[in-house]
Amino acid sequence: MPDETHIFENRDDKRTLVVVFLRGAADGLTLVAPLEDDNYHRFRPRLAVREDEAVALDGFFGLHPNLVALVPAWKDGDLCIIHGAGGESDTRSHFEAQELMEHGGPTAGGWLGRFLRGKKPAQSPLSAVALSPTLPELLSGAPAAAAFESLAEFSLSERRGGSRRSADFPRELRRLYELESDALRDAARNTFDAFARFEAIDPNARPGNAASYDERDSFAHGLRQVAQLIKADVGLDAASVDLGGWDSHFTQKTLIEPLMLRLARGLAAFRQDLGERMATTTVVVMTEFGRRVAENSAFGTDHGRGSAMFVLGGGVKGGRVIGPWPGLKPEMLDGPGDLPVWNNYRDVLAPVLVRHGANTDALGKVFPDFLLKPLPLYS
Amino acid sequence: MIALNTAIFKSAQGWLTEIGQYAGVGIERSLHEPMIPPSAAEIDPVSHALNRLTFGPGPGDHARISAMGVNAFIEEQLAPDAIDDSLCDRAIARFSDLWNEPLGEQYDEDPETLPPVLRRVTLLRAIYSERQLFEVMCEFWSDHFNIDPTKGDCRWTKPTDDVRVIRTHALGNFRDMLRASALSPAMLWYLDGRANVKRTPDEKPNENYARELMELHTLGVHGGYTQQDVMEVARCLTGWTIRARKDDGFAGHLLSPFTDHFAVFFRAEAHDNGVKCVLGHEIPAGLGEKDIDHVIEIVATHLSTAHFVARKLCSRFIADDPPAVAVDTVAAAFATSKGDIKTVLRALFATPEFAANCVVKFKRPFHFVVSALRATNASTSADRPILSYLERMGHMPFRYPTPDGYPAAAIHWRTTLLWRWKFALALANNRIGGTSIERARLQRRVGSDSGLMATLLGRTPRAEESDAWLKSGDGLALLLASPAFQRC
Repeated sequence: MPDETHIFENRDDKRTLVVVFLRGAADGLTLVAPLEDDNYHRFRPRLAVREDEAVALDGFFGLHPNLVALVPAWKDGDLCIIHGAGGESDTRSHFEAQELMEHGGPTAGGWLGRFLRGKKPAQSPLSAVALSPTLPELLSGAPAAAAFESLAEFSLSERRGGSRRSADFPRELRRLYELESDALRDAARNTFDAFARFEAIDPNARPGNAASYDERDSFAHGLRQVAQLIKADVGLDAASVDLGGWDSHFTQKTLIEPLMLRLARGLAAFRQDLGERMATTTVVVMTEFGRRVAENSAFGTDHGRGSAMFVLGGGVKGGRVIGPWPGLKPEMLDGPGDLPVWNNYRDVLAPVLVRHGANTDALGKVFPDFLLKPLPLYS
Repeated sequence: MIALNTAIFKSAQGWLTEIGQYAGVGIERSLHEPMIPPSAAEIDPVSHALNRLTFGPGPGDHARISAMGVNAFIEEQLAPDAIDDSLCDRAIARFSDLWNEPLGEQYDEDPETLPPVLRRVTLLRAIYSERQLFEVMCEFWSDHFNIDPTKGDCRWTKPTDDVRVIRTHALGNFRDMLRASALSPAMLWYLDGRANVKRTPDEKPNENYARELMELHTLGVHGGYTQQDVMEVARCLTGWTIRARKDDGFAGHLLSPFTDHFAVFFRAEAHDNGVKCVLGHEIPAGLGEKDIDHVIEIVATHLSTAHFVARKLCSRFIADDPPAVAVDTVAAAFATSKGDIKTVLRALFATPEFAANCVVKFKRPFHFVVSALRATNASTSADRPILSYLERMGHMPFRYPTPDGYPAAAIHWRTTLLWRWKFALALANNRIGGTSIERARLQRRVGSDSGLMATLLGRTPRAEESDAWLKSGDGLALLLASPAFQRC
């Protein structure tokens, strides 16, 4: 058996997992408000999302009005919300909590990196990308993961002195690799093939289905580039896009309302742009922890535990908020008064990874030393 | 007079170098004269030795080793302490404070400080050290005893593991290295040895280290141990722990908050002092902290260990799937020398299979990047811009998450071609921050286009390579990106 296969043989696997990390600890109780929980309004006299402004979801929960762009996905059953989601550690340190969540526990390397390394050797040089200046911890240990801020960095036709480099270099390089007779020649063909697909991307092409990204917004721009890679079939297995700035100790509304707008509009444009490709594309939105249930004296909230996670697309059975929601009774809160973690983030990620090709054995390696109880996201 | 001038020149050079590197500018290797490039049409034994025993030849290296002979070169490299390495020492001088700090004080460093410094120093040494085989072996053992410093307190303790385990024993004795690793604070953290305790009759020891000790460090997965052996080894090692940063129930109380962090010690009350049986050897009850000596002796001298380590070394130095006859020869050297690594390497380099397997290896990304820098006599500060290329190729030093270490075989690395090509273009055109080459000077010193090509390839260029060099518009980048330069 040859030890590797050509990229074309893998073309059927069009699945892509996109992880959006909300850095700084996003307030799940504002993103997805328990409108019918009286204690919510008691704990948050100034910051609670009011029923008359919220976007009603299921008669109990409502989205913050700035997330209204997510409503079509919700109505189409394409968006599943998991509330009281987070990690088992009660550290309220951003640094520690992000690291634990990106590593998938107190272990080394990122859970997404381990997932990718557990698959058979990647075929594409573009199997994993991060739209960030450096590789995020969750992709640590991935084979050939690329971090870049603009797809333009990826080109082999580097600009020099304002003019595009001629085609001489790639042509001569290809000629030398074609003289090889072994797997190295095949690897070079795979790479040139990915290049050809990549270079065929017109960065100025209009997004699909009349979708519209806010081009001034780096988050939307990142998602747009991920969509371009997906549609170009470059062999993208996973992508990571960050949206930071959620640490709202002080004047929370002014801090996170613009972020919610960017989050929802970016995701909505991405979904519309991909159209039918959303059936094989999953977006997971997560954050390191939630915020204290009671608001503080500075119109803000402090570090807490449980928050909300979103799973969008990829065949998820959406239109649901997965709880349970026993209510915000003071005696049920965690530690200094935090939303408990009812759903461990791994139990959300596990069924998603299965959807993206992981088997039980692989899951044990992606999330070591943890008894998984995967949530029924797909049934 | 000439000697005096040379001395003045060298002193001035050293002085300038120091200013340069404190200012964040890299330094470059001083080249050996004469710089006659390789003149054979195929890889000769000298180029082959340079490909395998070093991170790649620089200008002049081929001529120097041709003059001394390959065997003399091997012997030179097997005695690293006798090699003057002052240039490399200068390259890493500004990090030496961190190196010489007691382990307990390193803990005071910001958690993000030490791992990047470790990566940078490792890259600088690979490029500038004249003790090339020693650095190659340090890389080999760092994978063999892999520890990812992003796990918990390993971010503070891995640099000390690098000094006391890897670098102390890289060309020493395998058993000594194994024992040092078993009691290394970083390893005790990374594979949970610190949490391997038996304080009550019902408590179950943590088997993590015991399993990897046999599966990855010594016997190999099919080396003949059983689950029972794993449990028995774990029992033997109960009680060894470290004084950790935070006492989470497994560490002892700190005696002194300033010097005591990460000190390794034995907790007799957490040790299973009963009788054990490891791989058929009975270890009597009541030996306490002496149990570990028996375990190390048993696994280090097991015949499967000789074979497992020999095969790994042959995969590194001969071929991904090495010929069995070579593995047997090297394993025999391992067994009879009781794990003397120099003896083992000498035997390996003397096999006909070593000589016969030229250019069949695919350089791993780290080797590729370093060999390109050495071939072009680059000057580099080994800072973030160049490390980010390694990150993109999935081969950042000390960033492999699981204890098996970065894989050796080519199949795992072939998707990195793209970033190799981009790196070649960026290096050849001086577009990597903190790294520079002087192309015209380099070309002058090796004589010509074909001289530079032969320096890079370790042989004279083939007709199609010379042709591509001319037509590509960027011959240097093309050759660094070419198939021949990916092999060793």
